[in-house]
Amino acid sequence: MPDTSPVAHRAQKKLSHKLQNGMVLACTTLMHPPARVGRHPRHIALIQLEDHTRIIASVTSPLPIGAPVRPRMRLQTVNEEGLRIYDVSFEPVQQKASPMLDFPGYILALTGPAGVGRTTVGRLLLHMTAEVTEEVPITRTCPRKTAKEKGTHCVTKRAFTEMKQKGEIVAMAHAVTDTDEECWCGYRASDIERIWKKGKLPVVITETHLLQGLASHYGRRSLLSFGLLPPGRSKRTMLSHLLRRLLKSGERSQELVKRSLKQAERELAFLRDRKDLFDRIFVNGDLQTVVESLRKHVPMPKDSRYNPPARS
Amino acid sequence: MQRDIFLAGAGQTRFGEHWDKSLRDLMNEAIDAAITSSPCTALDIDMIVIGNMLGEIGSDQAHLGSLTSALLPHRPPAIRVESACASGSLALHTACAFLESGRAKTVLVVGAEKMTDVSADVIAEALMGAADAEEDRPAGLTFPGIFGLIASRYMYEYGLKRDDLSIVSAVHHARAKENPYAQFRSEISPEAVSRSTLVADPLRLLDCSPISDGAAACILSTQHQSDIRIAASQIAVDTLSLVHRPSITSFSATKDAAEKALQEAKIKLSEIRFLETHDCFSIAALINVEDLGFADPGHGISVYRRLFERKNDAPVLVNESGGLKGCGHPVAATGIKQIIDIAKVLRRDGERFGMAHNFGGAAATCGVHILEHSHA
Repeated sequence: MPDTSPVAHRAQKKLSHKLQNGMVLACTTLMHPPARVGRHPRHIALIQLEDHTRIIASVTSPLPIGAPVRPRMRLQTVNEEGLRIYDVSFEPVQQKASPMLDFPGYILALTGPAGVGRTTVGRLLLHMTAEVTEEVPITRTCPRKTAKEKGTHCVTKRAFTEMKQKGEIVAMAHAVTDTDEECWCGYRASDIERIWKKGKLPVVITETHLLQGLASHYGRRSLLSFGLLPPGRSKRTMLSHLLRRLLKSGERSQELVKRSLKQAERELAFLRDRKDLFDRIFVNGDLQTVVESLRKHVPMPKDSRYNPPARS
Repeated sequence: MQRDIFLAGAGQTRFGEHWDKSLRDLMNEAIDAAITSSPCTALDIDMIVIGNMLGEIGSDQAHLGSLTSALLPHRPPAIRVESACASGSLALHTACAFLESGRAKTVLVVGAEKMTDVSADVIAEALMGAADAEEDRPAGLTFPGIFGLIASRYMYEYGLKRDDLSIVSAVHHARAKENPYAQFRSEISPEAVSRSTLVADPLRLLDCSPISDGAAACILSTQHQSDIRIAASQIAVDTLSLVHRPSITSFSATKDAAEKALQEAKIKLSEIRFLETHDCFSIAALINVEDLGFADPGHGISVYRRLFERKNDAPVLVNESGGLKGCGHPVAATGIKQIIDIAKVLRRDGERFGMAHNFGGAAATCGVHILEHSHA
């Protein structure tokens, strides 16, 4: 069937039916799928949906028979006319993703694209609320120039994998670097729990994948989550602002700037699409104002010198 | 059968990559061979039935009835039949209908396919036309993928091991070695099958029948008698997509067609000595021998183990020609080639009954023919 607009339109009308949880009845990996769906190996499964109908759909990874899956919309192809055609793809329902039932405590998360100034804002906030907050050190596998700075904990890849296998890492993501070397970063549960034990509020200055990891591990309600956007009304002005800042800092190579900018584009889209993961989104126009507003959200002990107390 | 229909003549091209021959050339060669082998002349042919699936895509050629008819001097009426990989057996079935009704006395049945003039990508997409364009294709599925799903489910349900599955292709290649018309006349070991490139997990390259050019033709007649008679010609149909079937490890169209064919031939399954089955993928061969009744569900591999060891206690001799894996699979030619091969082995061994089992898509259409050798 051709990928023309009327065909896509008819298929679209049936999509809502496919948006059900299901179970894998059979799964295969096609090493050479048709060119129209991309050149990478493609995992396809026969799935029994909750209403007992069956469908054939792509799945995000090879799955064993009997695995429970849930649907998600995925860009299938872009046709010759430039029409983006979406279809339902299925992903495994993660068994481990049982968010903690008991409330472990708050984590303050500050998320934003690279270059938006989240580190500056975060450090300033940490400095101003030093009595009640502490930054969670990030654990990463390869050293960067900034490795020596406070808040980064470097380990070997092997050690990282071991920690991951033992379940010590609660959130992990690929780190953007200027080399092709695969580099991972993540948060250790022990670091976060140590801060809680001190009676302080752990603060993470983070990116989207790590934020999602934390939300799925500790539960969304444990996150005091703030997004940081660059000033600008359109995506273009926001990105040009970020680019200016990235170039100004002078720390990064041209290649890294390029990669960071690409990453930033994705993160901007994330901030737009996943509003549910943020309690508030600030525009980092004036540093002072942003830090002040953020400070108001930090839960303070009653007897603290820092006022005003938290409002939420 | 309402009349006695005889196989008056048969011929085929070698299956394989024929870069020097067009669809027309291939048909011409097969028709010439069929007429030469028969007691009749071209002018005795009342009608032509041509089976073809990919003429439009492989050769930019539709309207194959007229094309085929023009290959004979008197231009008999011709019709084209299409039902994916079962086009061959559907052409035979159509011809039998004409002969039984008395509308024709001698029918030329041709199956032809030209697949190597376009890229493998184009052909793979075109072959997906045999599956459901709305249910199966959008996810990016291909035919190896469909049978990959079937194989993964079969292995899960019956505990079949990957290395056992490899025996199937080894058997087919060993038989194809003896067949001068086969595309692959070399033996392969089961280990080589297990080691070959992964195509659609768990199926590997040597589990899959190849893309081939080729044509096969036979002359069926109620007038010109021969020692081979068509004892049964039956077709059956199942849902086009796997998603509408209760089970994907068994093909109901195969069961229906075989049951009807045995009734029509008035014989028992045990009387069938030779089987040409549609082994488009190795897993299909196992399911087929089970659905046809030669093995219990999940035990098809035991038949192939015996064939592999060339033991005489196999319930039936399967794919003596080399099957689709060894001979090649020019889609519509396969169904007719199976008839030719069954006739050959019946004459060779002086046995009485042989069965040809041919299906299209994931056994969405299935044709079963039983041939009887009268001199046995």
